[in-house]
Amino acid sequence: MKQLETDVIVVAAGLSGLAAAISAAENGASVIAFEKANTTGGAANMGMGPLGIGSNIQKHQMVSLTPFEAFRKHMSFTHWNVDARLVRDYYAKSGDTIQWLEEMGVEFFGAMPAYAAPETMKPYATSEATWHVVKPIGGGLPGPRCAGAMMKCMTERAEELGVQVLLETPVKKILVEDGKAVGVIAVDKNGEEIEARGKAVIIATGGFGANPQMLKEQTGFEWGKNLFSFAIPGMTGDGLNMAWEAGAGKTPVTIELMYQIPDNMAHFAIEGAFRQPCLWVNKLGNRFMNEDGIPNTTFTGNAIVAQPDHVCYSIFDAKLLKHYKRNGPDIQSHVHPHDIYQQFDEAMKAAFAEGYEHVCEADSLEELADKMGIDKEGLLKTVEEYNEDCDNHYDSLFDKDRAFMQPIRSPKYYACRQYPGGYGTLGGIKINHKTEVMTDEHKVIPGLYAVGVDACAIYGHTYPFILPGNTMGFCLNSGRIAGENAAEFINE
Amino acid sequence: MVALSIDGQTVEAEEGKSLLQAALDADIYIPHICSHENLDPVGACRLCVVEIEGREGACTSCTTPVQEGMVVTTRSEKLKQMRRLSTELMLSGHPSDCTGCPKFGACELQSLIQYLEVTDQRLRKRVNIVPSDTSNPLVMHDMGRCILCGRCVRACGELRGVGALTFIKKDGRTRIGVRDGLSLAEADCRFCGSCIEVCPTGSIRDQEGLLDPNMNRKAAIVPCRSTCPAGIDIPRYVRLVREGKPSEALAVIREKVPFPAALGRICDHLCESACRRSELSDSISIRALKRYAAEHGDESWKAASRQLPPTGKKVAVVGSGPAGLTAAYYLAKQGHAVTVLEALPEAGGMMRVGIPGYRLPVEVLNAEIDEIRKVGVEIRTSSKVASADQLLAEGYDAALVTVGAHKGIKLPTPGSDQAGILVNAEFLRLAALGTPQPVGERVVVMGGGNVAFDCAGVARRLGAKEVHVICLEARDRMLASPEEIVEALEEGTRIHPSVNINEILGKDGRVSGVRCVSIRSFSFDANGQAILDVVPDSECVIEADTIIMAVGQRPDLTEDFGLPLGRGNRVTVDEITLATPKPGIFAAGDVVTGTKSVIAAIAAGRSAAASIDRFLGGNGQIEEVLAPLSEPNPVLGTEASFAAAPRCDCPEGYDDEKAHQESSRCLQCDLRLRITEQKFWSAYSHR
Repeated sequence: MKQLETDVIVVAAGLSGLAAAISAAENGASVIAFEKANTTGGAANMGMGPLGIGSNIQKHQMVSLTPFEAFRKHMSFTHWNVDARLVRDYYAKSGDTIQWLEEMGVEFFGAMPAYAAPETMKPYATSEATWHVVKPIGGGLPGPRCAGAMMKCMTERAEELGVQVLLETPVKKILVEDGKAVGVIAVDKNGEEIEARGKAVIIATGGFGANPQMLKEQTGFEWGKNLFSFAIPGMTGDGLNMAWEAGAGKTPVTIELMYQIPDNMAHFAIEGAFRQPCLWVNKLGNRFMNEDGIPNTTFTGNAIVAQPDHVCYSIFDAKLLKHYKRNGPDIQSHVHPHDIYQQFDEAMKAAFAEGYEHVCEADSLEELADKMGIDKEGLLKTVEEYNEDCDNHYDSLFDKDRAFMQPIRSPKYYACRQYPGGYGTLGGIKINHKTEVMTDEHKVIPGLYAVGVDACAIYGHTYPFILPGNTMGFCLNSGRIAGENAAEFINE
Repeated sequence: MVALSIDGQTVEAEEGKSLLQAALDADIYIPHICSHENLDPVGACRLCVVEIEGREGACTSCTTPVQEGMVVTTRSEKLKQMRRLSTELMLSGHPSDCTGCPKFGACELQSLIQYLEVTDQRLRKRVNIVPSDTSNPLVMHDMGRCILCGRCVRACGELRGVGALTFIKKDGRTRIGVRDGLSLAEADCRFCGSCIEVCPTGSIRDQEGLLDPNMNRKAAIVPCRSTCPAGIDIPRYVRLVREGKPSEALAVIREKVPFPAALGRICDHLCESACRRSELSDSISIRALKRYAAEHGDESWKAASRQLPPTGKKVAVVGSGPAGLTAAYYLAKQGHAVTVLEALPEAGGMMRVGIPGYRLPVEVLNAEIDEIRKVGVEIRTSSKVASADQLLAEGYDAALVTVGAHKGIKLPTPGSDQAGILVNAEFLRLAALGTPQPVGERVVVMGGGNVAFDCAGVARRLGAKEVHVICLEARDRMLASPEEIVEALEEGTRIHPSVNINEILGKDGRVSGVRCVSIRSFSFDANGQAILDVVPDSECVIEADTIIMAVGQRPDLTEDFGLPLGRGNRVTVDEITLATPKPGIFAAGDVVTGTKSVIAAIAAGRSAAASIDRFLGGNGQIEEVLAPLSEPNPVLGTEASFAAAPRCDCPEGYDDEKAHQESSRCLQCDLRLRITEQKFWSAYSHR
């Protein structure tokens, strides 16, 4: 067995792990980071940018939100059900963290809101301009994966500071002696075991979005049945299991809910085409929300979870399809291609050929209800009432934006099932505001820290989209907090 | 060698090498994705563009050979723009969202996006609608993610000489797929996996669930070798058999085990269950190929066999089973004086007195034990050791306890105190030593493992007319190997799965039969008591005059031996060193693990030998290379109907032709590991 020795050991080199490694190294510690994949950045490679509050960028953009305003919004949103001290420390640091990244060479496109709430929802659920989206160097608008550039800068910064990043070398166990974390056992890509000793261990493995069994045990959702969340390879809960084994306390685990169609990557055009403010009903055929709210993927995800069997159906007819084909989608998304309806017919054909069961076309509403498993009478009654409202240009049920009140009465009819989807998991390891891991009895395990989504229990039930960039924001700032505290701890 | 300048750095490279390779070898990163060290360059992705002094425009460094005095620039604003545009073009047809992709974290495209800092938002997005093809059990095609780099096509064609994959032009679109619209099997794919290995994205992957997620990736790719407890290099010896070199094949096997011939007949071959070919037709008959090598190979393996000079240290090995003899063999080769002490009159342990001679002939075993004697191991039979302390008192520097698990378990079934009830281990042992316990005409064997079937086979050979094997397990859950079950059925043995024996019936103190019930399922409670889900009204009586209990064995040891005994009467040892709490005394094999296989015992014997050697001041290095390390031919070519080629089983052992035929079915999964791993940008110093 190979032996290594260092001050601080970081378990996984994603966003939170790199932030922890860099800040520990900046504070004088020697650092080894173990990463399971053969590249750094983890799930952040897929993202667009972190939250920051009070950054210079925001000041230039006249965004006046202060950390304390954000704190009050956050605490109201979560009903004060979470660790206020940790929330406070996180937001207080977040503006400075943007500068910290800029000094490393990260360039930002600007601070943006995640989405614009419809006028009627603005007072309740609007999104602040906290999302610092990374600028793609050399042109182009920011889009999914643009945070990859940030991961490059952070990787280079870590190397410059002498952080040793060991790729394809997963940690298997945290060593605890006399109640203190003293190192880890890892395995390198050739299968050789490594025993690394250090004075502090920081866990940053990114939750367990790709572990269906843990999802079932910890959240109750059954992946592939009533949950179709991202399952990023490698996010299998290693850090949580190792921390729990080492004596860490548990917090409830939630999922950053949204919604999507099953196997959405293979049916991307279909998903984009049906993610429109047309007619949305549940299994009983009843409407359950104003469809102009569907760009709010968080609330819509929650709304779908509240329906029978956690499923709903998005429906349009031939006339609406013609409108979409001619004018483009009513709601633009930065994920789905803008010319999505040019590919609609081909995509539907391919889906039918393949036997994909979550989408259908039908000559009548009765046939549609049969094919999709919607209550027939319920659907017919809903469509009748809805069409009448459309004719009156007023949604008497939910006050949906009248621009989207288009009747459903021109065959063919099209429908698609929508299920709860989600990003990764949130929380699991109990920490304090210094990111020190605690037992269930609130006793600190000396030398053990947990950061990023492994320890992110500050959202309560629902992802706080009102302060967007929050997951990456928490990862970065909890990572920084841990790195600083660990560097201080080893000098004690 | 030519000298050139890359970004102001002087680089030396062999003539004919590409500029890209010269730069990468000099630790200078130039982005690239269609080129691959093992494949001919095509310059398709245009990411590796560089500027060369005196030449117009930019040229692809993968297709430009190095020249003396060349002055090359790999980094400039113009090159950056060109590379970004090329990447954006690739991304325009690639899914925006990587989160559902199994290649996340290992994707070369993802790493490029990171390095070049691009997104897919500038160019018009085309959605590439290609449903994933999961029809093949080994290779899955998810061509919606394909960026048309063509590496797989070149790997399949140039590298392997197969040509199953090709570019397909249809309706103005180009894609990659199997030639002529065929399935992989129809296109004579050899399933070597090189397409998977070279694919930079998640477009061609191992079928889901195929790679054991708990195993290191490289190990999981060659499952036969990594599943073998002793780590025998199976693909290497199967290849040597195919090449008509049985002696070299034998040497490869001998690198890890001293019992090739015995294993060739009775190994429980976990390797075959793990064999990837079983997903296509049927696994390779690895065990039979081992037997072929052992029977047809000569003694050339001895030429390179290690023999260290005497160390003056003495080691005692208690028990001459596979674990003990293996440890003795390697310890003797390390220069120690080894004495094996065997309680029975014959050496071999379970291989001699557990496995019946009709499965493992005594001559075969004796020949292999003789080889162990030849390296200086002294085997004293009929020498029972009373206690561990006695050994140290006799002047041994270390001792290894490998006494196995030779005490059969007798169940307290009602009626089990009558005459005519025998127990597995004792029954087989006495039969093997030529003093069998007599059996009647009708025999019932209780148990469903390999030992139960051995008891059934021996009972029949001792004259039983009617033999029943009765076990709790359902037919498909029985612990015995399929071969043993089939053999027993062929001999006329009747098998009663999912049956419990409630009572042993008797007359005048002698067994007369068993009263049984059928069960739907069973489990054990915390105290080890069976909980049965009985089928109502299923009771029946099977008449018998002899009952053989074959429901497990445990080590025949007591506390008097001087070692602490744990669960199942097993000796407790340190997991890594195999040391018992008593200094200088080690233990390995069934006595530590409970009843396992011969190959597991051999593997344990090897670990024990290495550990004891270290204890005695050696380096514990027992690994040997006995066969020449030759580079396998990477060109596989095609063979008609390769995917369907049937397994050839041959109870009397293969001849040359059959061995060639069977070994030719091997997919050669290990070839994949010879493909150079691609390094990402962060692995280079100059980037």
